[in-house]
Amino acid sequence: MVIDRRKAILFSSAAALRFILFFAFPSLPDLLTGRVEISTPVTSFKRLQEGLFLYTHNAPLLLPLFALVPPSLFSPLTALLYILLDLLCANALIKITESGESGSSRLFTSPRKDMKWDSIAVAAAYLFNPFTIATCIGRPTSVFTNCAILYAITQAVSGKPITSMLTLGLASYLSLYPALLLPPLILLCYDRKARDTKTPPAATFSTATFVSVFSASIAWFLYLSKVLTGGSSEYLASTYGVHLLLPDLTPNVGLWWYFFIEMFDSFREFFLGVFWLHLGGYVGALCIRLRTQPLFVITTLLGIFAIFKPYPSISDTSLYFAMLPLYRHIFPLMRYTFFAMATILYATLLGPAFYYLWIYAGSGNANFFYAITLVWSLGLSEIVADSLFAVLRDEWEVERPEMKGKDIRQI
Amino acid sequence: MKHISCLLLSLLLGLLVSADPKYKELLNLQPLNPASLLASFNFKSNASLQSYEQQHFKYIPRSLGQILQHAKTRELHLRFSTGRWDDESWGARPWGGTKEGGTGVELWAWVEGDSDADSFARWVTLNNALSGLFCASLNFIDSTRSTRPRMTFEPASSVFNASSENLYLLHGSLPREVVCTENLTPFLKLLPCKGKAGIASLLDGHKLFDASWQSMAIDVRSVCPENGSECSIEMEQTVDMVLDVDRSKRPRDNPIPRPIPSEHLQCDQSKPYAGDEACYPSDANLGQSWTLAEIFGRPIQGSCLAEDSYGQLRDSVCINVPHEREVNLYGDAVETKNEAGTSRCFAIPASNPFELVLSHIGPQTFNKVSQPPLYASRSFTGHGQERGGVQTLLTNPSTSSSIQFVYFETLPWFMKPYLHTLTARLTTASTTSPDIIEETFYRPALDRRRGTQLELLISVPADSAVILTYDFDKAILRYTEYPPDANRGFDVAPAVIRLLPSSGNSSSNSQAPLYIRTSSLLLPLPTPDFSMPYNVIILTSTVMALAFGMIFNLLVRRFVGADEVEGWNLAALKAKARGRVAVLVDRVSGKGQKLEKTVQ
Repeated sequence: MVIDRRKAILFSSAAALRFILFFAFPSLPDLLTGRVEISTPVTSFKRLQEGLFLYTHNAPLLLPLFALVPPSLFSPLTALLYILLDLLCANALIKITESGESGSSRLFTSPRKDMKWDSIAVAAAYLFNPFTIATCIGRPTSVFTNCAILYAITQAVSGKPITSMLTLGLASYLSLYPALLLPPLILLCYDRKARDTKTPPAATFSTATFVSVFSASIAWFLYLSKVLTGGSSEYLASTYGVHLLLPDLTPNVGLWWYFFIEMFDSFREFFLGVFWLHLGGYVGALCIRLRTQPLFVITTLLGIFAIFKPYPSISDTSLYFAMLPLYRHIFPLMRYTFFAMATILYATLLGPAFYYLWIYAGSGNANFFYAITLVWSLGLSEIVADSLFAVLRDEWEVERPEMKGKDIRQI
Repeated sequence: MKHISCLLLSLLLGLLVSADPKYKELLNLQPLNPASLLASFNFKSNASLQSYEQQHFKYIPRSLGQILQHAKTRELHLRFSTGRWDDESWGARPWGGTKEGGTGVELWAWVEGDSDADSFARWVTLNNALSGLFCASLNFIDSTRSTRPRMTFEPASSVFNASSENLYLLHGSLPREVVCTENLTPFLKLLPCKGKAGIASLLDGHKLFDASWQSMAIDVRSVCPENGSECSIEMEQTVDMVLDVDRSKRPRDNPIPRPIPSEHLQCDQSKPYAGDEACYPSDANLGQSWTLAEIFGRPIQGSCLAEDSYGQLRDSVCINVPHEREVNLYGDAVETKNEAGTSRCFAIPASNPFELVLSHIGPQTFNKVSQPPLYASRSFTGHGQERGGVQTLLTNPSTSSSIQFVYFETLPWFMKPYLHTLTARLTTASTTSPDIIEETFYRPALDRRRGTQLELLISVPADSAVILTYDFDKAILRYTEYPPDANRGFDVAPAVIRLLPSSGNSSSNSQAPLYIRTSSLLLPLPTPDFSMPYNVIILTSTVMALAFGMIFNLLVRRFVGADEVEGWNLAALKAKARGRVAVLVDRVSGKGQKLEKTVQ
């Protein structure tokens, strides 16, 4: 019951903080909604409102949900909804932590697994992360995707592969890129299932089941949208087409927008292909090399998405930073923590300033903000690579326990 | 026999009358206030529908007629305009705003077609052909600048019912287009006298495009008289301009205004500071008197086809000043004064030059300018290049009756309005009034394919003003999509307002429509650095390569202990290098000694 009380305190304080921000500063939500770091063209709350008004934009399933809300209660109820979503995410994180999957999976148990944070600390790190709070107040629709991803992982680690696949289907339906998480999630589901049953089930059969459940769930959501939009499939081009073809070049914290503003017209399609291939290229490699720790593959992929997806925002970063504390035990093995954190902090502080200089003051140009997005991406990829190094070293030290604390080299 | 010949003659005459395609021209001069003069040129040509379809062109120009026939266009309205009509001081617009276009070029037409796509293909054909004919960039009216208005325009032709005859209305505008002499020359070429004779001889690019406001219009429509006689094609060309009289009177070879010598200066004694030292120049004599040659650079060179079918001269020049004002003529013209005492017209003989002098003798009076039915002004709100708002102020000056009108706006696709923020409120009220906007037609934009189309049916109560506002986002474009002068901004086409006949006298449906256009807007968009493509490609690729390299380096390589492999040992490296250097030094010095030995 002690833990439950701690959880209640944590949740109520996090909710209270958000309530205060929502209602004591009434202009704050709209201010944050307008920030390019939080709202991208595909996740903006203002566009969601416009979509409600016109019933066209965004993945259509979200629209009826919001349309049920009477206009006078719209603002407080959406605030409540987003607070609730954050608490749900935190709850999912608590379950993932309690499963102990990060420390010891079916095929690998870390020698450092006892040096972990408990679930409340992990949830607190998520709930009081400034990025998470800003995202919650800015109300982008990516929060729905994040919540779906976290729940898919929760279901997988608690041995419910079917619901996990259905939830991942929802996440992919909402914003396409979570579909790339399918291979590691299948591995995770399989590992969990194999651990629970004494004799491992047939790998091919399980995989086929998982994939078909996943595709069925996506097909079901698409069908539902088609019914809701009155049989038209035009929304496909204006929702998934926007992810794939990047027609909207509004600035964000990612690398795509300025690259495709400046790209020569004849090479545009080629580089779109290259960028998507680059994003997809990590999935296979990570799954193979880190076969023993599928949850870490998912974590790293979330970090990579936060850097290299077409319309990233700090909400993706907050999701990555939510997963990272699960690997508290490998933190001592990371080498460039200070450098990476300093870079992230530098970009966080200077990004809004440089954006202001470009767009409002007119004393800077687009390169200012572009440079900051480069620094931001570098800092994040430093953390991704460094945590990957730490996990690999941790794994290596199981083979070579005598090498603990010694200098190593890669060959 | 005599009877028969009489009959034959009258028949012949009747045939001549009906077969004679008419051509009329009229210049209307209206001083708006001491400083400005509105000159409205109107040229009207007619041809029977039959002769037009058989390609017998006389007064309807062949070049334009064939284009219209090829593009299957039944009704055409083309406008070239510059400047802003100042309705605060100039009053209501000429022709009720129907012969006026928004800044730049505006075009709308009813095109035949089996489907939307079919009509659009013909519309593109029409634009390309007209672009060549008028030396204007009409070919840039593509799918992003074309709209299909629902409520704003009604066909002026009496012949067709648009829906039953597969006619499609298409509208396009180019607010950025600069109207100039190269558009006037082909415009004059369409006239029967090519601008060499008649009132068109006054049209000179130097004067027309120096005007405070000008609008050139071409309207082609078909007219079927109600008595069931033969239908005809009517083409109307109109040029309206508001001239600054003082500016126009400056001689062309010495156009720089010079200060008036102090002995000729008349001071406005009503000013509080008037005295020996301070002088506020009085405008008592400003633009009071002028001649046609002073204003337009030359007198009218005779008349053009001014005789009607009975051999009588038609009036071709009118001036709207009260009768007590003295107007002198040079050249033998026939003067007719109207009964209301507000205007007089002149019929000009064919061959002689005609000159008109508005003298400064006599009472300096003007006809009162009429009040416009609605004042409309539109502007941007907000700052920065990320988002903004549009605010339109619509004022109903009438103290007794409310007005109802259609507000039509087309926005480029990169200006993304949020319709949920669209509000209309009375300036006196602080909250929005839901009953102001009665009907909304909205067609959202598609990136790079279609612009936004917004049509609102609005009513404004008597003696009040309505503020219409909405928010929008500014998109950032690919660097090749910016025009050469990217930081100037993008032009947003003027809003078109069509005033509907008030419900009080809805019986008079024949009431001519009234149109008002707001000025165009200049929209600044965020710009990338245009010199950067290579740098951006290189820098972004570097960051991606770094991340890719770091991650795959970890994934594909194996860990070993640092002491288990031969690596870069700095101390060993130093020792090695030192050894090498020592050997080298030894060798060099050793050689030196050897050399010394041999010399000795």
